Amino acid sequence: MSAPMPPPTTLEHARWERFKSKLGGWSLTTYGILAFAFLYLPIVILVIFSFNDSRSVSKWSGFTWAWYGKMFQDGQIMLSIWNSLFLAIVSTIIATVLGTLAALGLERYRFRGKTAVDSMFYLPVIIPDIAMAIMLLIFFNMSGIGFTPWKVNFFGARLAVPYSVIIGHVAFNTSFVAIVVRARLAQMDRTLEEAASDLYANAWQTFRRVTLPMLMPGIIGGALLAFTLSLDDFVITFFTSGAGFNTLPVRVFGMIKKGVTPKINAVSTLMLVVSLSLVVVSILISMRSGSEDSVTIGM
Amino acid sequence: MNDAYAVELRDVVKQFGDVIAVNHVSLQIKDGEFFSLLGPSGCGKTTTLRMIAGFEMPTSGAIFIHGEQQGYRPPNKRPVNTVFQNYALFPHMTVAENIAFGMEMRQVPKDEIQRRVDEALAMVRLAGMGNRKPKQLSGGQQQRIALARALVNRPEVLLLDEPLGALDLKLRKAMQIELKALQEEVGITFIYVTHDQEEALTMSDRIAVMNNGVVHQVGDPESIYEHPADRFVADFIGETNFIPVRVVSLSPEIVVALDTGQQVVAGWAEEGLSVGDKAVLSIRPEKMDLLEPKEMPKSPSQQMAYVKGKVTHLVYVGADTRHTVVLGDGSEIVVRLQNSYIGEEPWEIGEETIVTWNAAHARILKE
Repeated sequence: MSAPMPPPTTLEHARWERFKSKLGGWSLTTYGILAFAFLYLPIVILVIFSFNDSRSVSKWSGFTWAWYGKMFQDGQIMLSIWNSLFLAIVSTIIATVLGTLAALGLERYRFRGKTAVDSMFYLPVIIPDIAMAIMLLIFFNMSGIGFTPWKVNFFGARLAVPYSVIIGHVAFNTSFVAIVVRARLAQMDRTLEEAASDLYANAWQTFRRVTLPMLMPGIIGGALLAFTLSLDDFVITFFTSGAGFNTLPVRVFGMIKKGVTPKINAVSTLMLVVSLSLVVVSILISMRSGSEDSVTIGM
Repeated sequence: MNDAYAVELRDVVKQFGDVIAVNHVSLQIKDGEFFSLLGPSGCGKTTTLRMIAGFEMPTSGAIFIHGEQQGYRPPNKRPVNTVFQNYALFPHMTVAENIAFGMEMRQVPKDEIQRRVDEALAMVRLAGMGNRKPKQLSGGQQQRIALARALVNRPEVLLLDEPLGALDLKLRKAMQIELKALQEEVGITFIYVTHDQEEALTMSDRIAVMNNGVVHQVGDPESIYEHPADRFVADFIGETNFIPVRVVSLSPEIVVALDTGQQVVAGWAEEGLSVGDKAVLSIRPEKMDLLEPKEMPKSPSQQMAYVKGKVTHLVYVGADTRHTVVLGDGSEIVVRLQNSYIGEEPWEIGEETIVTWNAAHARILKE
């Protein structure tokens, strides 16, 4: 620093400095409040009006549970909820297995074309949903898979879930699981596996007793992420399901076209609660699994 | 005839791409021996250990454990256990589960596992800690658990990869003594990798000094220190003076000329040197003495060397003082004198002196 130091601070100067730092504090607080209000106020309003005792979603006229009751009585909504759950569970299970295996393969082995496969796994994360949706739609049409449904009795609900939607969800979920699991794998101390084999464990025992338990927080985190993404997905479901198959988000979209009632607010609140619970669960798991290496599930 | 050795390496080479990590190493490690692989980082000592454990396969050469060739046998099929540098305790298992792991994999009966886990915990003086998680233990305790986890399997050979590296100095000293006592108690062959020469000298029955993938010398601590085979060993182990010389004669006596032209006798010369070669005279600082010029004997003995110099630096280090002396040719040597002489005047900087040593202590090494 070649510039000469400013003259010693006078009392006035000190006051000015104090005012400036206070002003900075106030404006930061205000900015923070405004930012949070912008993000969360619509959600709060949405939740509040799901309890509104009138058909209006903007004018408050008293508290009621009625819209929730109507929601659960609406056969189409219930069917779409079962569809969403079934789809999310099945695609999460498949994607978690595939994603974990892919992560292990990419992290542990060297093979021809690894770099290409590696970047391919990021593709579904990066490209716009709509591009992926159209891609899948064309694929299902051209391959002749079409929209053949899987007819299944799921907790008493008779579902017909097109294989195409399941494949579509597995396609993007696998990438997310692979990325989350791989991050965990990269942090893992490989000498632990060496220690296991040094203690007479064969390759399978090493995987079963050491690698898999150490990876578990990553796998669960990846699975929860996949489950949430599948529940929330609209675009890919919409394009790959053909006619007549509704998940909850697709159903909500259909309802909005006929006008917005607090029933939609109630459905949205339900989805919000489920998504938030999943996030809380994943945070709890990563906290319990030990500390610093938390599983990030943010999108 | 191989059965005499716990571990034998025959002409083992390990290459990683273009890098030769271990270069034609042959070693014979006796049963029940505390054997150290000593060298600076990157010298190949850890790779050598990992090949014995089975984590790495030799590029060429053979490894025998109690006469049995290991070949491509994986680590879980070898009668050795390893104590890792970072301990590698399984964080998701309790201490007892960690110790039981090896026995479980070998399907030892449950009640025997329980008994042996308790014994192992007692052996490392951590009885009652079985239900804790490794994270809840201190570094020294984790170290002892790693040791218990390996020893409980009663391996034929225990491999230790710088196991005390992460501990602080005081704990390390205590663990050195504990480890050595434990090894004598269990009578298992220990192969110990370290870069700490003092550690190796204190604990080992024999030491292999390695550098750049090559074994420079194998011997007991005394012979490694007193009779270093080459310049690297002399330099790496302890403190040594290297005085540049030229070989004048090798038999019947070894005579070398200093740069001043003065000739001195030496006790030993490295193989491969011939008359006229440039070399270094290696001698430990504590093997020399300083005389006042007037003390110079009239007819000096052939077995003693006397070289003129000037004291330039004094460092008091408690038990002794390090005197730096510059010789006539400008080379510096360090002489350590014990601070135990009563009534003798200490040396002062700038004083003329005569450095003297017994020729038997001087070793002539290749440059």
